[in-house]
Amino acid sequence: MKLIVGYLATPGGADAIALGVRLCRTLGAELGVSIILPPDRVVPSLVPVGGYDEHLAEQAERWLAQARALIPADVVAGTHVSFDDSYADGLIKEAARVQADLIVVGGSGGGLAGSYSLGSVVNELLHSSPVPVAVAPRGSRDRSTDRVHEVTCAIGERAGADLLLDTAVRFSRAAGTPLRLVSLVALDPMFGTLRGDEDAVRERALAHAQHTLETAKSNLPDDFPVTSTIVDGRTVEEAVSKLQWHDGDLIMVGSSRLSAPKRLFLGSTAAKMLRVLEVPMMVVPRDPFDAADLP
Amino acid sequence: MSEAQEDTGLVSKGLAAGKIGTFSGAVLGISSVAPGYTLTASIGLIVAAVGLKMPAILIAGFIPMFLTAYAYRELNARAPDCGASFTWSTKAFGPYIGWMCGWGMVIATIIVLSNLAAIAVEFLYLFIARVFNDPSIADLADNKAINIATTLAFIAVATLIASRGITTSERVQYVLVGFQMTVLIAFAIAAIVLVASGDAPAGVAFNLDWFNPFTGLALSAFVIGVTGSIFAFWGWDTCLTLGEESKDPKRVPGRAGLLCVLSILLTYLLVAVAVMMYAGIGIEGLGLGNEENADNVFGALADPVLGWAGPLLFLAVLASSVASLQTTFLPAARAMLAMGAYGAFPKLFASVSPRFLVPAFATVVAGVITGAFYTVVSLLSERVLLDTIAALGIMICWYYGITAFACVWYFRRELFHNVHNAVFKFLFPLLGGIMLALVFVISVQESMDPENGSGAAIGGIGLVFYMGFGILLLGAALMIIWRFRSPDFFEGRTLKTVDSLAGDTDISRDLSPMPD
Repeated sequence: MKLIVGYLATPGGADAIALGVRLCRTLGAELGVSIILPPDRVVPSLVPVGGYDEHLAEQAERWLAQARALIPADVVAGTHVSFDDSYADGLIKEAARVQADLIVVGGSGGGLAGSYSLGSVVNELLHSSPVPVAVAPRGSRDRSTDRVHEVTCAIGERAGADLLLDTAVRFSRAAGTPLRLVSLVALDPMFGTLRGDEDAVRERALAHAQHTLETAKSNLPDDFPVTSTIVDGRTVEEAVSKLQWHDGDLIMVGSSRLSAPKRLFLGSTAAKMLRVLEVPMMVVPRDPFDAADLP
Repeated sequence: MSEAQEDTGLVSKGLAAGKIGTFSGAVLGISSVAPGYTLTASIGLIVAAVGLKMPAILIAGFIPMFLTAYAYRELNARAPDCGASFTWSTKAFGPYIGWMCGWGMVIATIIVLSNLAAIAVEFLYLFIARVFNDPSIADLADNKAINIATTLAFIAVATLIASRGITTSERVQYVLVGFQMTVLIAFAIAAIVLVASGDAPAGVAFNLDWFNPFTGLALSAFVIGVTGSIFAFWGWDTCLTLGEESKDPKRVPGRAGLLCVLSILLTYLLVAVAVMMYAGIGIEGLGLGNEENADNVFGALADPVLGWAGPLLFLAVLASSVASLQTTFLPAARAMLAMGAYGAFPKLFASVSPRFLVPAFATVVAGVITGAFYTVVSLLSERVLLDTIAALGIMICWYYGITAFACVWYFRRELFHNVHNAVFKFLFPLLGGIMLALVFVISVQESMDPENGSGAAIGGIGLVFYMGFGILLLGAALMIIWRFRSPDFFEGRTLKTVDSLAGDTDISRDLSPMPD
């Protein structure tokens, strides 16, 4: 198993490395740290400006050497520099090249609005990657947790939920961590939907939660710790904030129905959760993929 | 550095090769010259010096730039490096001359940045004034406080954009070049048509003698004109240095360069002849010799010649100067980055922003110095645009001249191996270098007379002299200080003096910056 960290020599990059190390230890995986550089375009200018690629690549090697120093000796790690016009595209190609099972990136503070928006690279990845993407929250680098202790899976009723459940179960089994299944219920009726009464909504959510719990249990050893809860709130943000979180948690979510086949597409519920949670989040594609699907 | 990468295979380069053809290469070249902006900035200076001989002077300035461009091409093909002139002249002549050459290159880009911003501001107000039909808005550009504030704002925005690694896309460059060339040619044709119909204020008849530089010109006037003309052709060699990006590296760069330079030369000559026939060189009214119009000829002529379409010319010049302001930050920062990487400037200049992957520190320094330079010069000078262009001509002669000689010396052991080498590595660069050296010496002398610039002087000596020669002396002083604080570069530990054949064998070690 192999993980790829999309690295930049910024605090966000250190967050991604920290999460990558945590996941590698949990899964016994290998870590690849990758820097994607923009190739120097021919910019018309008054002075010839060749040779910048070399300078940049050399600087990247130095950054990677520093990144290596952040990785503990017990994790097998390699580094790589590649050039691509798009950071996200370069990272996806790199993941395909080494047949990585997961891409890890630092999500915080990349956008214009600080922690409330994602950087453009993370955003692109979360809407196009063919392999699962894990986003490290701000400050992951300062946490002392060395592995994932519990996996929370936010599971809905729509198509694709089965694959998400399946991935979460596989992850938990491989990592030996307890699995917590969560159904989020936003009671605030959306415009255009029937105004069902809250009890009926809650009733249906409970039934759904029970069903997913049974599915999960049937796929796991008898004594495997699986729990199932429903949380409600006026909004998704409120509901998800009601959950208890600990160091070493990881939340898994699925992709939106808008996704291209076998690609990620961050759904609106997941995006809302990402905004309020300070827990690493892993987004998985809607359909199963195999090596042949990689670009 | 490249050695290490190739050995370990750690770096994969996804450069899309085979993209640029002859036409797009020429467009890139034209776009780096920014003809709309260049003509506005230089016509005034040239006419003030040589009057009706402008076409001859344009050709006279073109020749050394054309010859020297081959030095760039040959050096860039053998030892591409973002230090360009700095790196090559250090390799050929050692650290001291190399440092001074690099300094000239950095200062030239700083001066042109300030001039670009100033022209952009001028035409911004002209354009707004025309759009709102309120001539008083155009006068705002003459108010020193407002002018400096707006220019600094332009520079700040351009610095911010450049330091975040945002560049103008090729498509935008194409559109800008197309727009500029169309408007310029339409302007020239309209002017000639007006002359033919007898509606021009001056209506000077065309005369072939305008193209003859050997009659009726004093040497001093000739040389001052040539500095303006040298500035006008600065940058077209960019398309000669297209290497692996072009479709056919053997043919495309040469053809693109020729196509580019011929289009520029013909456009310049056409516009020069047209404005002279239309406006004459009188010192009153629309005449090109009128000091009021000298640093902004298009500003005065756009409306009379183009009528309702006048603002299009303003817009073309505005767009051309803003786009160039944006793209010129890149070479300015890269030149400083290279000097920092080799230890000729403080190490900080070589630092690359980990997030935006551009030399952010060098970019911000370039922006700050440009702003400071513009503020000081516009407080001292009576016509900033005129004086900066004159100083720029001197600075270009300095570092292009050194580069031309560096080419001859760097390739000294293979100059006569074949005809190609004899022509492009020896004859062309040598002639170009000698011409530029002559222009440099004479124009520095002439710049001491305030009347050859805007008239601004300090202690009776022209401001242009301080901006040209004075800044070179300041550079020499800084070089001595830096030599004692950080001798690595000057003792040849970071960048060795070599010739081309020695350079072939250990080029990778030779190119690598010093270890940390």
